[in-house]
Amino acid sequence: MTPLESIAAAIRTVLHDTGRDAAAIAPEMLLAADLGLDSLDLAQTIVLLERSLGVDPFRSAPAAAPRPAIRTVSDLVSIYTAALNSPH
Amino acid sequence: MTTAANATTIANLADAPAEDRLASAIALVARQFPERTAIVANAGGDTRRVIDYATLTAAITKLEGELAAARPVGIVARAKRVESLVVIAAACGREHVPVAFLAEDARDLVGELRDWVPLDDSLTLPAAAVAGPRREFETVPPQVVVATSGTSGPPKLVDHSWDSLLAAARLAEQWHGRGWLLVYDATRWAGLQVWLQALLTAGRLVVPASRDPDLVAKACVDEDVSILPATPTLLRRLITSGDRAAVAKMKLDRITLGGEAADAQLLEQAKTLFPNAKITHVYATTELGEVFRVTDGLAGFPAEWIGRQLPGGARLSMRRDGELLVQLSRDTAEVGTGDLVERRGKRFEFTGRRSDVIVVGGAKVFPKRVEEILRGVPGIADARVYGLPSAITGELVAAEIVVNEPLPAGTTPDQVRSAALAICRERLEPHAVPRLVDFVKKLATTPAGKIPRR
Repeated sequence: MTPLESIAAAIRTVLHDTGRDAAAIAPEMLLAADLGLDSLDLAQTIVLLERSLGVDPFRSAPAAAPRPAIRTVSDLVSIYTAALNSPH
Repeated sequence: MTTAANATTIANLADAPAEDRLASAIALVARQFPERTAIVANAGGDTRRVIDYATLTAAITKLEGELAAARPVGIVARAKRVESLVVIAAACGREHVPVAFLAEDARDLVGELRDWVPLDDSLTLPAAAVAGPRREFETVPPQVVVATSGTSGPPKLVDHSWDSLLAAARLAEQWHGRGWLLVYDATRWAGLQVWLQALLTAGRLVVPASRDPDLVAKACVDEDVSILPATPTLLRRLITSGDRAAVAKMKLDRITLGGEAADAQLLEQAKTLFPNAKITHVYATTELGEVFRVTDGLAGFPAEWIGRQLPGGARLSMRRDGELLVQLSRDTAEVGTGDLVERRGKRFEFTGRRSDVIVVGGAKVFPKRVEEILRGVPGIADARVYGLPSAITGELVAAEIVVNEPLPAGTTPDQVRSAALAICRERLEPHAVPRLVDFVKKLATTPAGKIPRR
């Protein structure tokens, strides 16, 4: 699976688990406004992705590093693609 | 020894100095009934061992002789076998040698016990000890050192006198000659309480080969166990996962719960399965010993106990945040227990340990409450709820569930999971609903038989 597919699958699980309909998920969609994800949903998505992709870019980032803005599905894709390609 | 009846003599043990009681009680039974079984070790397993009272008392006498000759500063009980721990405790008490019991996870603390001599299952003092530093006669009061279970922090050593160690032991005739199950670690406070009680009262201590619920149930039936001391977690596992036929054949007349809070659901299940058993819930810690016991079979304790002196002398109060405080006697300080309580009707019920609270985005979640809801979902046999670290919300609620075997026809584990989440959404705040739910064959327990929360 590509990072986008993994991320879409995780978001679908989160929506399903919380009793919401899993809509089609596209890169340009806004996590909050279009998909209705709140911080708990995002935290769950990250835990699910750690299981499927084996990385948690939010935990492994140095505390001093600025946290990148996460507004769209595609922001998540960039963060995970970078984490998967990093030597660590 | 006189010709007085055994029962009277055991009851009279209370008049003897506490440190002498264990050795005296064992010797007393050995004289009258040398072949009576004291301990069944590895019960239910292939290597079952039976130790009688005569064998125990002979080993105690031999070790007493060695201790009297070497006079070590203290003994660290390193033995693995329960019968060896009994012999070490009894001989050290009699000879006024301090003794320490360190559970596996507290072994690092041995450095604090300088010059103390390790004693293993050989029950023979090492040559170095015989030549090592000697204790001056009677300068130290006889003491027992026990490590805490580490439920709320790293294990630490706690000093007890023999009097405080035996304070909760019951010597009355109704307790004599009974079959006691030991599922606790024999080196921890709870375990010590069980085997001391059993052997002070001519009882039979049954130690199952493992904590596997099928094996525990079989050992209880085969070895005629009538008294079962356990944590609610271990009892729940026995009830939900133990071999049904064996559990139905168990003839318990007492269940003594401790170490964790018992919820109403478990108490009801236990009452239904063991209608003849008296169910007692003991509130005790390694530091404080036994504080109180609840015998009415209901969860928590009566609300009027807060702010009042209890029969045992302890006084309970509550911090503003709900933490239970205990003052053991007028001369001692009030101490925080780390246990949170909440008033429900005429009771105070335990909501969980302060250290167990999961904080999700600043909001508190009591894992015990979530577990109780999950256990009520059809198809779920048992559940464990814990906090998972999250960079976004601090922590996230996660759950492990064990489904009933077999599930009702036509039901899949996924349906059970969806139903569980739907019920949680209905009954809990959004942040308390588990965000990660895993199916497991059996739940993890801590060495002390409790639910791990992290």
